[in-house]
Amino acid sequence: MNELLQRKPGLRAWLLLAPSFLWLLIFFIIPLGIIVVYSFLERDLYGGVVWKWTLENYRRVFDPLYFKTFLYSLWIAFLTAFFSLLFGYPLAYYIATRPEKTRNALVLALMIPFWTNFLVRTYAWLTLLRTNTGLINVWLQEWGIIDHPLPLFGNTFAITLGLVYGWMPDMILPIYAALEQLDRSLLEAAEDLYASGWQVFRRVIWPLSLPGVIAGTMLVFIPSLGAFVTPAILGGGKRLMIGNVITNQFLGAHDWPFGSALSVLMMAVMLLATLIYFRTGGEEARRGGLG
Amino acid sequence: MPDASSAAVELRDVVKRFGDVVAVDHVSLRIAPGEFFALLGPSGSGKTTTLRMIGGFELPTEGEVLIEGEPQGYKPPYQRPVNTVFQNYALFPHMTVAQNIAFGLEMRGVPKEEIRRRVSEMLDLVRLSGYERRRPHQLSGGEQQRVALARALINRPKVLLLDEPLGALDLKLRKAMQLELKAIQEQVGITFIYVTHDQEEAITMANRIAVMNKGKVLQVGTPQEVYEQPQTFFVADFIGDTNFLPVQVMQVTAPVEVMTESGTRLTASWAEPTLRTGVKAVMAVRPERMHLYRPGSGPEGPEWNRVEGIIRQVIYKGLDIRYEVFVAGECSLHVRMPVGRSEGTFQRGEHVIVAWPRAAARVFRSES
Repeated sequence: MNELLQRKPGLRAWLLLAPSFLWLLIFFIIPLGIIVVYSFLERDLYGGVVWKWTLENYRRVFDPLYFKTFLYSLWIAFLTAFFSLLFGYPLAYYIATRPEKTRNALVLALMIPFWTNFLVRTYAWLTLLRTNTGLINVWLQEWGIIDHPLPLFGNTFAITLGLVYGWMPDMILPIYAALEQLDRSLLEAAEDLYASGWQVFRRVIWPLSLPGVIAGTMLVFIPSLGAFVTPAILGGGKRLMIGNVITNQFLGAHDWPFGSALSVLMMAVMLLATLIYFRTGGEEARRGGLG
Repeated sequence: MPDASSAAVELRDVVKRFGDVVAVDHVSLRIAPGEFFALLGPSGSGKTTTLRMIGGFELPTEGEVLIEGEPQGYKPPYQRPVNTVFQNYALFPHMTVAQNIAFGLEMRGVPKEEIRRRVSEMLDLVRLSGYERRRPHQLSGGEQQRVALARALINRPKVLLLDEPLGALDLKLRKAMQLELKAIQEQVGITFIYVTHDQEEAITMANRIAVMNKGKVLQVGTPQEVYEQPQTFFVADFIGDTNFLPVQVMQVTAPVEVMTESGTRLTASWAEPTLRTGVKAVMAVRPERMHLYRPGSGPEGPEWNRVEGIIRQVIYKGLDIRYEVFVAGECSLHVRMPVGRSEGTFQRGEHVIVAWPRAAARVFRSES
């Protein structure tokens, strides 16, 4: 056996890869295949499928009722990525420019929220934001700053806030990694060549951190698009995202084929977004020359 | 002494402290327009900090930096009429060669047409025409170096600051770039201030050298002056090869007289002014100023020093032969003799006389 492995290094590589390949096959590729196949089948009243091929599920996906939810999800994902970048970039820059000890402590601080379950943290926002009993509205009214409760809950604001809160570390970390590698002497060189603070940022720091920005944006955009916990809790049942609709098809409506079709469409959109983003941004990142 | 307006750069009693560490310790320098001036010293000698204070990347804790007679105060780098070539070049990796070189002019809003013209002039100057669209990572170290030089020179600074610009190149390329840099400097006529820890580089390129150690300027002079007339033990040791003989001072006024540990009397052209009769010191002599003779021959008289020794090692170097001579009870001396002298070559184990003229010997306080 040993001898065989030595003579055939290709075989050895396959043996080493086999466990992860099996894992992916059983828990990723096959389920994905099932979803794709189901999406072309008819529903069974009790949650199963009838083996009759149909395109009806995909027609229903473009029903305005669902399609609007779809567009709304895209909008939320866009807002989440946008605000995560807006707030995350300065923070990443701040962390990356601290001395090494402080830097590590700050990155650790960034991770600490992850030690608590996401669901619990989202419920914490619920207690803060709720319209009549939420702490923010209660306090603001007690202190006489407002007369009526602010619309902090059950709307786009609440969902976006919850998602930005949840996913911003995924924006910060890749940007931080890119900025941390940035050679400080490049900034001095730009300054030496008459660049103002803004120009140093625009012409040197930003383009060189772009790979981090792209990675961060994708890492925030994709999970936000498929989010269902945050809109379920902070949307107050009034605002649904596509993730909630899909959950409902599987758990409530027992319409697995339609849920599958929605899932396939969502994955297609994510794939498309990723491709477009990496094509346009990736080009720029390559010119960013970190290779 | 020229007046203030005629110095390209002047440092007046400049001190730089980082916390408790004194990086630059009361440095005063005057650098003339058009000069190729080297700041030479080992790492941690304060030479780079001195350069960075001229460039505006650091501000002096005390003292003043003047450029063309004008105090620079707290001016940031982009308000000073100087440009810098950084140690690792610091080329913008996301820009082409042409974009890198154009950067300074672009920031100052120079018209596009003029930028294009001047970029191509610069590419000619550094012999990189045709490389406009390459990216820094596609260039060799020497080419990157030349881009960095062009990127700085295109701004026509009053003074160009160079921080160990050849440090990352291999020896052969470094030698070629030394000559090229010097030729470019003579061509553009801009004052160059050049930081290096390589004494050979400083001697090859500079009009004048300031030797620094521990934040202080120990000596300023032409390459010949610092090589032939070092003022301190450190300078004698740092620049070139030197033999150091432990001695005791017998007389400090000219002619300087000392005695070796075994009692041989020697004479020197100069002794460090702080030396007193009776103290321990070292005599410094360059290996090429020492000559070997067979016993009973060689020059004699008050102008000459002679010690006896045994050849311990002979190294043939092509241009010259290097001998290591063991002087009984004293030390080893390194002697460099041109090939083809009438005495012929000496063999290992041979008894010889090592002789050197008084003019070649200087006496320093020994540093421990």
